[in-house]
Amino acid sequence: MSAAPLLLSFQIAIVATAFAAVIGIALGLLLSRPFPGRDLIDVIVTAPIVLPPTVLGYYVLVALGRTSVLGGAFESITGSPIVFTKTGAVVAAFIGALPLTTKSARAALEGVDGRLVLAARTLGAGPLRAFLSVHLPLAARGILAGTMLGFARSLGDFGVTLMVAGNIPGETQTAALAIYDAIQAGRDRDATFMVAFLTLLAAFMLYAITKLTERTDAR
Amino acid sequence: MYAAGEHVGASDGDGGAPRRGPRRGCHKTIASCTSSALTRPDQDRRGGGPLLARSRRSAGSFEAKTGKKVVLSFGSSGLLAKQIAEGAPFDLFAAANVSFADDAVKSGRCQADTKRLYARGRIVLWTRRGAPMAASLSDLTSDRFTKIAIANPEHAPYGKAAREALEHAGIWEQVKPKIVFGENVRQALQFAETGNADAAIVALSLAKVTDGEVTEVPEDAHAPLDQAMVVCGTGPRAAVAEDFAAFVGSPEGRAIMNKFGFVLPGEAVK
Repeated sequence: MSAAPLLLSFQIAIVATAFAAVIGIALGLLLSRPFPGRDLIDVIVTAPIVLPPTVLGYYVLVALGRTSVLGGAFESITGSPIVFTKTGAVVAAFIGALPLTTKSARAALEGVDGRLVLAARTLGAGPLRAFLSVHLPLAARGILAGTMLGFARSLGDFGVTLMVAGNIPGETQTAALAIYDAIQAGRDRDATFMVAFLTLLAAFMLYAITKLTERTDAR
Repeated sequence: MYAAGEHVGASDGDGGAPRRGPRRGCHKTIASCTSSALTRPDQDRRGGGPLLARSRRSAGSFEAKTGKKVVLSFGSSGLLAKQIAEGAPFDLFAAANVSFADDAVKSGRCQADTKRLYARGRIVLWTRRGAPMAASLSDLTSDRFTKIAIANPEHAPYGKAAREALEHAGIWEQVKPKIVFGENVRQALQFAETGNADAAIVALSLAKVTDGEVTEVPEDAHAPLDQAMVVCGTGPRAAVAEDFAAFVGSPEGRAIMNKFGFVLPGEAVK
């Protein structure tokens, strides 16, 4: 009974984190070099960390709801709406994870000695190859730490998911929502199980992240 | 402090737990809680629900009459009952279903002999003006309705009544894939108001004050939604809470309640 929302949370968090990691690396690379409007993009990407989940949920409902242009187009192509579906839950989890993956990727990419990348270029590597075989591997630890942080965050999203996902068991009822329901319905045992599981998992991931970043610093 | 209605801190900033206890800045004089299940969003979305509206009206009249200050706090019944059990300093608890008032009594923090009925809830089918209408619940099986919002039947009394009504109509299994759950009946209505759901089954009191097409669901289609309030705590504040509960039950209080769609058996739905 109480394992299903946890599994669903994992499923949603894995997909959301995959997107957040790839887009986060791209944004991190973009933001690691100065260009006009860089700070503006940085602010927009970072905003979900500090904005109330209700504000984000409202934006998602307005921008991706069934009566919106994007939401309507998505529904006419795929046959199912974004809101009230796993897609919506993934979007909610993604929004929470993206600032963390982007910030970490940017810091990690900026921390790599630029001369190493330049050396690769002088040895004949194109920009893509120099990035993939020199720049990215050297930043891998920091990026991995950021990805884990993003995963932990998306696993626990509550506010945005609550607003856009419709709390459907097996579809959008993630562990965070199931815990809220269990507490309200007085199913303390279910709540305790999920609470304990998520707490242990979060503690483990934060410890792993600390270890990862420690070694990066020492190098 | 009087608690009724909307999210009492439904979530904190970080996707976390529901917030415990009274809100900051609450001065405790009278506390009561009522499920959000009784509330409705104002058409202009500036807040306030039927329960909020009627609670505020009741509290306002009571304050004017007695000079005692009432502080209202709103949340879902299940959560408020839980918070009371954990020691939240509410003096009066108005629950959307009598079972939550009983839970609060069972926790030992509220007084069984103060329990009194304040309304028997009714549900309606709500659709947006101009959108395809449903003449009865069975119309919901039509393809015109792809998403139908109800409050979460697991803990929201109006959601439970909505499910019972759909079961009573023999279409629950058929419409189940279309159902989306609001955290409470207000969110269910909000899903339909914004066009994200094609219809919602919500409280009459909510529908009465919201612009939309309304089809009444027969009262016998679901178990009675008896809503009760109960005095919690002891001492001088409990005495004021009892006065307030008596005021809600007085002819003056009943008139306010009726105006907002909260009727007792024997009272006419206007």
